Amino acid sequence: MTGPLLVLAVLLFGTAVVVGQHWPRPWLVLTLAACLASIGAALSVFAAAVGWEWKSHILLGGESLHLRLDGVSALFMVLAAVVGGAGAVYSCEYWSDRHYPESAPRGRSWWSALVLSMVLVLIVSNGLHFLMAWEAFAICGYFLITLENQKPAVRSAGWLYLASSHAGTVCLFGFFTLLAVKTGTWDLGPLREHASLSPLFWLALAGFGMKAGIFPLHIWLPSAHANAPSHVSAILSAVAIKMGVYGIVRFSGWLPMPASAGWVVIGLGATSALLGVAFTLAQNDFKRLLAYCSVENIGIILVGLGAALLARSHGDAPWGRLALAGALLHVWNHGAFKALLFFGAGSVLHATGTREMSRLGGLWRTMPWTAGLFALGSVAVTGLPPLNGFVSEWILYLGLFDAVTDKQAAAWAALPVIILLAMSGALALVAFTKAGSMIFLGAARTKPAAQAHECGLWMRAPMLLLASLCIVLGLAPIFVWPAISRAADAWSLTWAGQTAPAPLLTLGWVHLGLAALIIAAAALLWKKARSRPIRRAPTWDCGYAAPTAKMQYSSGSFANLATAWFFWILRPSRTWRRPHGSFPAEALLLDRVPETVLEQAVLPLAARIMQVSSAVRRLQHGRLSAYILYVVAGLAGLAVLVLLESAS
Amino acid sequence: MNANLNLLIGLAMGLNLLALGTSRLPALIRAMSAQGVILGVIPVLLGHDLDWRVALIALATLAGKGVVIPSLLRRAMRTAQIDRELDPLIGFVPSLLLGAGGAIAALALVPLLPLLPEHANTLLVPGALATVLTGFILLIGRTKAISQVCGYLILENGIYLFGLLLIKAMPLLVEAGVLLDLTVGVFIIGIIVDRIQRAFDSLDTRKLTALRE
Repeated sequence: MTGPLLVLAVLLFGTAVVVGQHWPRPWLVLTLAACLASIGAALSVFAAAVGWEWKSHILLGGESLHLRLDGVSALFMVLAAVVGGAGAVYSCEYWSDRHYPESAPRGRSWWSALVLSMVLVLIVSNGLHFLMAWEAFAICGYFLITLENQKPAVRSAGWLYLASSHAGTVCLFGFFTLLAVKTGTWDLGPLREHASLSPLFWLALAGFGMKAGIFPLHIWLPSAHANAPSHVSAILSAVAIKMGVYGIVRFSGWLPMPASAGWVVIGLGATSALLGVAFTLAQNDFKRLLAYCSVENIGIILVGLGAALLARSHGDAPWGRLALAGALLHVWNHGAFKALLFFGAGSVLHATGTREMSRLGGLWRTMPWTAGLFALGSVAVTGLPPLNGFVSEWILYLGLFDAVTDKQAAAWAALPVIILLAMSGALALVAFTKAGSMIFLGAARTKPAAQAHECGLWMRAPMLLLASLCIVLGLAPIFVWPAISRAADAWSLTWAGQTAPAPLLTLGWVHLGLAALIIAAAALLWKKARSRPIRRAPTWDCGYAAPTAKMQYSSGSFANLATAWFFWILRPSRTWRRPHGSFPAEALLLDRVPETVLEQAVLPLAARIMQVSSAVRRLQHGRLSAYILYVVAGLAGLAVLVLLESAS
Repeated sequence: MNANLNLLIGLAMGLNLLALGTSRLPALIRAMSAQGVILGVIPVLLGHDLDWRVALIALATLAGKGVVIPSLLRRAMRTAQIDRELDPLIGFVPSLLLGAGGAIAALALVPLLPLLPEHANTLLVPGALATVLTGFILLIGRTKAISQVCGYLILENGIYLFGLLLIKAMPLLVEAGVLLDLTVGVFIIGIIVDRIQRAFDSLDTRKLTALRE
């Protein structure tokens, strides 16, 4: 059943790539059908006891085709298909032929190609084919990011994405080649017994970490997410960076691990979570804010994976399975709420044309659906009950708590990480309170914000789907447990055959109760509010005669209290012209938060490399006699080397 | 026999210095062609049975290096109407010193090399090294295309001297092939010299740097 469904999905996606150029509606039908077929294939794997595997004698690039879909890849495939389908529907209105006659057909084809290449990355089980699919995936992403390629900011974001993506791919080339050299075959599969392979994990971590956006490697992520069309940002954040996570999960499951792997991964995860949320707080551009929030969530996922790795090196302690399950469930959860949030952000962008939060405000009046769905996504992303974000973080915390009570060496990692995670959770709450209140509450700060309009049904429907997924995953986590546990078992066979943890069932009931309470409270409030007429009056303005809508909290001032703790890494630059005299004419305060890692580490280094390279380039000047001198000097040097060699 | 051989090679090394020290192109061409003649005589002297093949090669070398190539170069020189290397990149005295230093270094280097005993006490190896070095100095230090052609030819003479070490192993026909290549090369350079002259009204190769990419 799995095989035919996968073939069907691949064929449908392939057809959609061609059809998308000219016919939007058939393209949508084909893409949705392909996504459904992929979900079907993944579900059939969850239902079966073992993963699906298919080896053929068909040669591709000199290697025989080897496909595999097990618990881990099926988990990620469901995510890719759900977001792929939802984004396809969303793009029909958001990036329609009417608004973007030139780029919309391209966008449709690349969209199907992107989902197809991600599905291929997930099913191929041969190093060479993996690299091919990975490269196709990276390139499809590039063309989707640069759909609006007439804008310079979009082009530079695209270049940055492409360059860092390829920097990661170089590591992967090294990884797969060395793996093939050491094992003698390009075929991939469980190789836990080859102890000599363990150092290769660092290459994989660097290569996949680049795509996943682990903290110091996240440089491409904010600009790409901010400048891409919102449905593309959604799939980048919800699925594409998860492909990096997939790579790390996949190969940490298959390869033997170096002893320090767990410590490094958990450390990287905690760093990404905390610093990611620090940058989230400081952003004024709401899409950048969402992008940095992805860095934070990748951190949370890595913490779970790191804890699982630690558990594996401590004799397969059961808390590792719990932490891993939390991490894997968070992959789904983050995919659902982050796609929802980016769709919401796209809806705001569509209506107002700006990404600056300080130019928005008061949108809930004109865009109630978007405001409500964005708020729901914010509750989910900050990990508040009763939504899905809380469930996965809760399982992860349970695993870490058990690690602490286990009183082994891993407790030394788990205890500080719990504190860091809790901190970043609290700060995420601040960040999303800021985003939600800046965009939707208060009064409209500019004219476009005042004239906003609600998005249409095509954009609302995928948001509603994702929101309902957030609610279902939050209220009934027990239903997705089989899928998660199947994936965790595929990662480490020794944990197979365990039942769902009891807290999960309890949590479901608690969440249901909580949801009932919230609904009852909301109904009560609604009734109370309706029973009395609402009196509207201006806010008290301290006696100032001419208040404007701009005299509200700005996003910078709102978050300043929390961002002040992170000035050491944020390094904001401030332009300040203070008011002078009794009747001050004009004053100015400009805050800018730089991309610290990119602007203060990577770019200076790159400039230095360019300097050295252009100095070296002076050697090539076209003067024949000097070239001959190089040859003579080279020969003389070699002769000296040979003589020294024979003398010694 | 070795005394005769060493005398000839010593003469060739002296001609190297002459080629390095002169600013006049006719003198340079003369030194180069005289060196060619001397080299043409050497295989006959090396004491093999003087069969018709060796004689033919010696004759061809004499004719090629001693007569044909120099006359071609002279004609190019006349067409281009230059007879002096005016502003060399490495001056004449420094070139001389470099060449002399190179010759001494080559002589000093020979005891360090793993040579066959019958070659150890001849000037073949140091002569070859010094000649190759002279060719390189001319190529690096001169700017006129004709001087550089002479540099190539002297470089080839050095390689030819090295080839004589292998005269038992390597048939002279291979050497003949090298000579043929060189002749073709000189023809091509002659044509290029002509073109450069017509296009730029000068034979200064420094003006050709715009073609580097």
